Amino acid sequence: MAVKLVLSGIGKDFLIPVIDTVSFSVEAGEFVCLLGPNGCGKTTLLRIIGGIEPATRGTVLLDGKLVVADQRHDRPVGMVFQEDRLLPWMSLRDNVALVLKPLGRPLAERRAIANRYLGVVGLRGFEDYYPGRVSGGMRQRAAIARALAIEPDVLLMDEPFASLDAQNRRIMQNEVRRIWRETGRTILFVTHSIEEAVAIGTHLIMLSARPARIREAIRNDGRVERAKLIDDLNAMIMEEVERQQGGASL
Amino acid sequence: MTRRDWATRLHLPTLGAVLVILVVWSLLSWRYGAYVLPSPGAVLRGFAGILKSGEIWGHTGASLYRIVVGFGCAVGVAILMGLAAFVSRAARGVVHDFLAVLNSTSVFVWIVISIIWFGLSNWAPIFTTFMITLPVVGSNIVEGVQNVDRRLLEMGDVYRLNGRQKFVAIVIPFTLSYLVAGMKVGFGLALKVSVVAEIFGVTSGIGYIMNYSREILETQMVFVWALVMILVMMVTDKLVFDTLSRRLARWR
Ligand SMILES: Nc1ncnc2c1ncn2[C@@H]1O[C@H](COP(=O)(O)OP(=O)(O)OP(=O)(O)O)[C@@H](O)[C@H]1O
Ligand SMILES: [Mg+2]
Repeated sequence: MAVKLVLSGIGKDFLIPVIDTVSFSVEAGEFVCLLGPNGCGKTTLLRIIGGIEPATRGTVLLDGKLVVADQRHDRPVGMVFQEDRLLPWMSLRDNVALVLKPLGRPLAERRAIANRYLGVVGLRGFEDYYPGRVSGGMRQRAAIARALAIEPDVLLMDEPFASLDAQNRRIMQNEVRRIWRETGRTILFVTHSIEEAVAIGTHLIMLSARPARIREAIRNDGRVERAKLIDDLNAMIMEEVERQQGGASL
Repeated sequence: MTRRDWATRLHLPTLGAVLVILVVWSLLSWRYGAYVLPSPGAVLRGFAGILKSGEIWGHTGASLYRIVVGFGCAVGVAILMGLAAFVSRAARGVVHDFLAVLNSTSVFVWIVISIIWFGLSNWAPIFTTFMITLPVVGSNIVEGVQNVDRRLLEMGDVYRLNGRQKFVAIVIPFTLSYLVAGMKVGFGLALKVSVVAEIFGVTSGIGYIMNYSREILETQMVFVWALVMILVMMVTDKLVFDTLSRRLARWR
């Protein structure tokens, strides 16, 4: 399989060092789940990969091309932010249709695609609603529809299901899983839920306490029993959370 | 509109206050004479007079024309300033300083300069209106552009919207409420300022006719035209700007 994404020696300092060094590579079609304690730099890492935050150290290669932040790019990358980031003055349909504009699709087609993907995330009938008139979970699903609509090579998702209830979470997990299987997209998925990661990821990356390194990279191919894997990961994250909090109180 | 609506709108305490003022006004008018303070009745008769003769439309129209041209140009230029502020950080600084200077320039400066430049013509009050309202509308727009949600622009970047697409989809809608707020204040200012500018050099408009009425000792007409001004102000506020704000807030 082709290598899609290569991170080599990525590091980021804000006022404090946030990411120490992180290197990994992702092959096309993998579904990578990123785990780690609060504030360890998961969002920052995703932003670096998405090219909206420059790294302090290291390089990101996407399809063999260097990702340079703050530059006009032609990367087919879809991103679901931790917040929905919908435009409040546009209907859900127009929000989705907007991001199809750079792809040069005519209006009617953009609308049709938007309707289709809003249907996929279970928002049929809400196409004309403004974001302010639907619930937080529905907004988040609209943001997911937006990311899917551009049919990106790489889909970056930052805790996309955090504001969903258990049922919708399950539905969306299956939906993303299905889309991933049918389209063969590469997905990087940040989550706090170890169960979720184990349920949907092909690869799991556990980051350490800040400044982040890779604590553990696991192939989730069923060779280790699920329950044991979840227990191990839970133990690991407890350690890292404690370490991060211990570090903060020093 | 139901009767209840009218009752709440007219505000009984306000009506009472108006009544008191009218009584005091009448007494003062009777004490000091019609030249200093014409009676409410005389003002009302004067108002009916210009309504009947149609004089009201000519002067109000002339004033409104100047305001709309001067203020309209100011809004146009202010929007361009907002565009510049969005496109370049350097331009934002320049626009900022420029507006600060304009903001601290007195109306009178522009009135005098406009007479020198445009002589006794329509363009003098138009120019004055333009120069006075530009900083008000401009600073509002620039402030709006500065406050545009960075996270939304970032979303635009991720999805590869170009500058124009981001401007149209994100910056303009975000800034519109600032623009309308600026226009509301700006239009009120335009009305007040253009009337002052009309004292000099033109032979039509509310400002001109007020000053003329004073010269020919028809004090009641000064009051009548002041009344016209107030009415124009209130009507545009209700009709134009309230409607505009409501339509903009549709998605809220
Ligand atoms: N623009 C910034 N300037 C300064 N510090 C920042 C900035 N962005 C993030 N940080 C810091 O970097 C650290 C990591 O933030 P980040 O949002 O990447 O964490 P996270 O792993 O996504 O956390 P969470 O699980 O809460 O979403 C935090 O300590 C945060 O304060
Ligand atoms: Mg985060």
